[in-house]
Amino acid sequence: MAKNSSTKKADEKLLVGIDLGTSRSTISADNNKKKWVESYVGWPRDFISRKVVGKPILFGEEAVKHRLSLDMYRPLKNGVIKEGTARDEEAVKELIRHLISLVQSSKSDTKIRAVVGVPAESFKMNKIALKKAVAEFAEALFVVSEPFAVAYGVGALDNTMVIDIGAGTVDFCIMHGTVPTEEDQRTVLTAGDYIDQQLFTFLKERYPQADFNLNMIRRFKEEHSFVGKIEKNVEVEIPVEGKSTVHNITDEVKRACESILPAIVESTLELIAKFDPEYQDTIRENIILAGGGSQINGLAEYLEEAIGEYGPTKVRVVEDPLYGGADGALQLAIEMPEEYWTES
Amino acid sequence: MPNSDKTSIKDSILQRVYEDNLAISDPYTKKSHPARSPSNRVIFHVLPVLLITVLFALIHFISDPISRRLTDPVAFSAKDSIYPWAKIIRDQQSAPTGGPLISYGGDSIPGSEISFDAQRLLNYDFLLNQNHVRVSSIFGLDIQTIVIDPGHGGKDPGALGSQGTREKDIVLDIALRLRDQLMESGRYRVLLTRETDTFISLSDRVKFSNFNKADLFISLHINALEQKEFNVTETFYFGPPSDEYTLRLAEQENSGSEILARDFKNMIKRIGDVLKEQESATLASSIQRSLFSNMEKYDREIADNGTKIAPFVVLLGVDAPSVLVEISCITKSEEEENLNNPVYREKITSSLKGGIKGYLIKRQTQVVKGDDDGEKFLNKKS
Repeated sequence: MAKNSSTKKADEKLLVGIDLGTSRSTISADNNKKKWVESYVGWPRDFISRKVVGKPILFGEEAVKHRLSLDMYRPLKNGVIKEGTARDEEAVKELIRHLISLVQSSKSDTKIRAVVGVPAESFKMNKIALKKAVAEFAEALFVVSEPFAVAYGVGALDNTMVIDIGAGTVDFCIMHGTVPTEEDQRTVLTAGDYIDQQLFTFLKERYPQADFNLNMIRRFKEEHSFVGKIEKNVEVEIPVEGKSTVHNITDEVKRACESILPAIVESTLELIAKFDPEYQDTIRENIILAGGGSQINGLAEYLEEAIGEYGPTKVRVVEDPLYGGADGALQLAIEMPEEYWTES
Repeated sequence: MPNSDKTSIKDSILQRVYEDNLAISDPYTKKSHPARSPSNRVIFHVLPVLLITVLFALIHFISDPISRRLTDPVAFSAKDSIYPWAKIIRDQQSAPTGGPLISYGGDSIPGSEISFDAQRLLNYDFLLNQNHVRVSSIFGLDIQTIVIDPGHGGKDPGALGSQGTREKDIVLDIALRLRDQLMESGRYRVLLTRETDTFISLSDRVKFSNFNKADLFISLHINALEQKEFNVTETFYFGPPSDEYTLRLAEQENSGSEILARDFKNMIKRIGDVLKEQESATLASSIQRSLFSNMEKYDREIADNGTKIAPFVVLLGVDAPSVLVEISCITKSEEEENLNNPVYREKITSSLKGGIKGYLIKRQTQVVKGDDDGEKFLNKKS
């Protein structure tokens, strides 16, 4: 491709693809470095906290660990940067700065060119805020929607549907040979966090004496999530009055995970039905699951069966759900012609 | 797909990404694809400022001697009654300098798209007192975030039943169920002011709702009456109390609000927010109707107190349309037993959800023509 030859990066340029997620944010750079961090940003509450934590700002797991000493922000909670809250915008900015620092070499004058994928809802609402936030430390930046970045990364450019199941949102996107417009995308708000809430409620109902918190629930979900047929019992250890006790949580995990399915199936069918009838069958056979939620056991099979009632359906799962968005964004950055960078 | 096809698709995609991002850099750049509508939420917040700007611009315009000649009132048909507002605001946004570009009716100005009476536009009450037209429907305001507020909690048990049932536990359980039911569609973000048995002051509930940019706020309570044989269901939105009983109830629910007097003075200024009042009245009516018709199946003697207006602090401080539901009375022993039954609580939840959904569906109607809510609202105003 003629344009590609001009995209050859100068030595001092670092191309990065960033996936700003509700739960986790990832970065993939053209120096082959990849990193992820939980999407938490925390500032020490006061002078004493500042001394205790020893840093002016903390990110990810470290921030969670010191959360009692920090003003904590999960800036993309529910898929959007909260409007008008300067601290949330600041948190996004710091998060991106931090991600870049994780892949940057010690040479600090490297010029950064970034493509940032954000949840579809955020894409709609916060593009300008994002561009402003990143302007001071990136030479140039493009903002794209997360499911689009995933689709680009796996080369699913035409007649494909990507379902990106994150923590705060499930984003749907139909690719038809061009950048998806708003009509090609949809967001539902029952996603990974909703499964956590459901599982928490179900377990509280069944085991009122058991002592657990949302972090434990999230771990149970990540280790044991499944939908459809019960293959094996899910047993976990939860303390009861201080004593670690084995609990069977099979039914509760299944119910909680399946609670997000009706909205997914309904949205998939609605989005496909709106599309040109000539290509609806092709799209149904090219459904790609991405994001952390794509790791739910039995999900692809369940969707194939549910959507299969409307015609032959094929659902596959991206190979690397964690870095799918960042890799796709990096791919965009690499293939973006030089003149687009300089004129952006 | 052949490689050459893929390359050309990629070329066109990269070009579109570039163009889309150019549009982001400069908000005034015309986009090459259909423009995305601005956030309804932004309109919600900008609306009062816009209206004031329009009024000032109009006053300026009318005071001009040349334009005054153009302001002969022209009959303003009911059919057109909503649209001139939208047009003026659109034109106001696009006007490069000076006042809004207003087209006047009558034969003197040919080619005008919409005719209207400028004198009438100067009357702010016209818009705000339209009992047939909801302000939100004119601007197509959207609902994204619903905050449910289970009353009391922690050290504050709320109303107590004779068998020891506590209001705080019942409303929390119903709130959790309601969240799950409302989230099933995946269309709304549903947040709770408390998810556990913790004490949260009323001011913190208000802050929570406003910080999270709630579009609807629903506070859940269970009532207690001295006359233990009675069971009553009622739904409130903010306003001056309509009777002594309501005032006493407001005193009970407002206790420990931790809101300072000076804050209260600032908050009271918001009473004039007609948009919120209209929406709150409609939401209250929808919830009350659904709740009563369902609860009547379980207690044939339950009284329908309908929708009422009361000065609950929590309803005043929240920016969004907000209601407070007194689901039933824990002091009636049969009702207390019912409230302890999860199946009954699930039924209550479903009827609350039914009321909320009824309201949301009604919002999609652009013009509400003389329905119950409109009439009630009009009666209240008079």
